Amino acid sequence: MSQMVKFGLTLGVICLAATLVLAVTYEVTKPRIDAAMKAEEEAALKTIIPEADFFKSGMAGDIEYFEALKGSALIGYCIKVTGSGYGGYMRIIVGIDTLGAIKGVRILENQETPGLGSKINEVRPGENEPYFLKQFKGKNAAAVAVNKDIDAITGATISSKAVTDAINRTVTEFMKKVNPPRKSTEEGASDFSSMGLH
Amino acid sequence: MKMMGEFVKGLWRENPTFRIVLGLCPTLAVSTSVSNGIGMGAAATFVLVGSNIFVSLVRNIVPEKVRIPCFIVIIATFVTIADLFMKAYAPMLSRSLGMFVPLIVVNCIVLGRAEAFSSKEPPIRSILDALGMGIGFTWALMLISAIRESLGSGTILGFTISRSFEPPLFMILAPGALLTIGILIALINYLTVKWKASGSAGSPSGAKQGG
Repeated sequence: MSQMVKFGLTLGVICLAATLVLAVTYEVTKPRIDAAMKAEEEAALKTIIPEADFFKSGMAGDIEYFEALKGSALIGYCIKVTGSGYGGYMRIIVGIDTLGAIKGVRILENQETPGLGSKINEVRPGENEPYFLKQFKGKNAAAVAVNKDIDAITGATISSKAVTDAINRTVTEFMKKVNPPRKSTEEGASDFSSMGLH
Repeated sequence: MKMMGEFVKGLWRENPTFRIVLGLCPTLAVSTSVSNGIGMGAAATFVLVGSNIFVSLVRNIVPEKVRIPCFIVIIATFVTIADLFMKAYAPMLSRSLGMFVPLIVVNCIVLGRAEAFSSKEPPIRSILDALGMGIGFTWALMLISAIRESLGSGTILGFTISRSFEPPLFMILAPGALLTIGILIALINYLTVKWKASGSAGSPSGAKQGG
């Protein structure tokens, strides 16, 4: 009996020490990690909708989003999307204009297979954004789909679909909740109803 | 064994990947590109050195029957510390390593050296052993990923080296990994035997010449 107690105690003490060290490390690094995550988000917002002066955050149910404002005019939205990929969750930001067309996509975090699924975020040398995400520009966010609008990456079908479907799903829900003003930001652009969405 | 010997052995004679054949799971998965290989090697070396110091320090306190869970807790703690500090102070590096860092917990080299060496040897020797094993692991990873990336993606470190052939995709998938590592181990075994034979050719004990 005393043997078992000795084992349990030793293991317990080591686990306790480990927990203390990790708790301290977590608290020490948390402010910097949170700041890094926020900075990364803000940088992403600027690259997706560069014409915007200011981003105002808001919530639509569970969906966190940012209104992109130029002066006092609303020119688009940046919506935070979470998806489930091949290896785990993904954090994505998709920028749309007021008509629902995609202005840009940024993947902030993913756990896809390195070398395969991770290609969804791969930037070709000489280019400035991931080639897979470039395809999303201009597409209707609430109806975007692989094969129809997007070519999946060879050997990374699940990852490619995960990004696409997450955007589709989240923006559709966002549109229902927020109902953006259907003002066209470009000459001659058709509005929502002609896209057959509502 | 002399102190430096503890360090040098991990580089070639007892190379963890090619000679002791440990930690093949992450090696197979991670060696799809050279930058991945370097990143994994660097992070694994940090965890190896850190956790083996502590395993060596507690080696006389921990009873044998609970040593494995105790070592695993120490290793996992170090991996988590490395992960958190990287996320906080080197976010670019952390992003490119991504999933590799948590995977180091299951790298057999770390537990293997803790069990086979650090749990029985004093801290300074354990540090040297861990360093040698870590660097040996890193160069092995770099070699394997250089082969797989150049043949399987046509690039090295992201730079395209050849556009004249369509790279066979299987090289960056599992079969390519197994083939590359298997052939490399066979090659290194062959060289080791050959060098040992030519090394003893001049010995006075009359070993067979030529052959």
